[in-house]
Amino acid sequence: MIPDRVVEVLHGPSYIQLGSRDDALRPAHTMAVGALVHDDRRTVTVFVPAARSERVLRDLAGNGRVAVGVALASHEAYQLKGTYVSSRPTDDADRVRQEAYRAALLQSALEAGYPDALARPFCLGFAYTPGVAITFRAEEVFLQTPGPGAGSLLA
Amino acid sequence: MQGVIPSHVVTCSHDGTPNASAISQVYYVDPDHVALSHQFFNKTKRNIEENPRAVVWVVNPETFESWDLELEFVRSETSGSVFEVMEMQIEAIASMVGMKGIFKLRAADIFRVISAAKAVGERIPPAEIPAPR
Repeated sequence: MIPDRVVEVLHGPSYIQLGSRDDALRPAHTMAVGALVHDDRRTVTVFVPAARSERVLRDLAGNGRVAVGVALASHEAYQLKGTYVSSRPTDDADRVRQEAYRAALLQSALEAGYPDALARPFCLGFAYTPGVAITFRAEEVFLQTPGPGAGSLLA
Repeated sequence: MQGVIPSHVVTCSHDGTPNASAISQVYYVDPDHVALSHQFFNKTKRNIEENPRAVVWVVNPETFESWDLELEFVRSETSGSVFEVMEMQIEAIASMVGMKGIFKLRAADIFRVISAAKAVGERIPPAEIPAPR
């Protein structure tokens, strides 16, 4: 089960990246623009730009292994590792969630002291439509905040 | 690769488990090589010792375009000019982000750049982003 604090960080505003790998163990990466933890607290959906989804979806269909890193501007960070479940095009409800996520991400960067000239184009520059919702089952959760406890298994 | 916006790295263990992590610094060494800051004995480090392939995501802090660098680990350096410059830059980054005493460079991990590809479709150009009201 995903710990409460990790659910909060996944719901953001946070920086989310998805990692996969192909059959030759070559890694791939994409940023995600928002995430949703489902009621079972084990299943997570992340939203990625459709233009960046082809490689990771091919990897996930092939072997199912997925890693999702999530971090706040404060450097508090976690990583979830698990197994791919499904994907679908994002819908109107997802887009509403993503638009709120982007606005909150900008606000958090400004509050962290980043100048508007940097924070605005970076945070609002994540393309989100058309998008793909990728759902996976989290099987391990790790602390990834830099420091002595980094890498420890939380769940 | 100026450290203004943190980069991300994905590696993969020998058993096929990917690992996604932020990284403080990606340093341009020459047209065929970059160096990644190794600050902690972490899964990224263990993975590249098992499987030398990695992909790094970097953002240009002026244009905000993002790029994927497909990499292959070559060696770690704990002295020399690349290490010394990266060590100074890590200390500066640590001061800026409140991580002084936590961010400490252990090694400059040198990677060969297999490919560099713009992350097409991932970023909205700054000109298309609404100005503050």
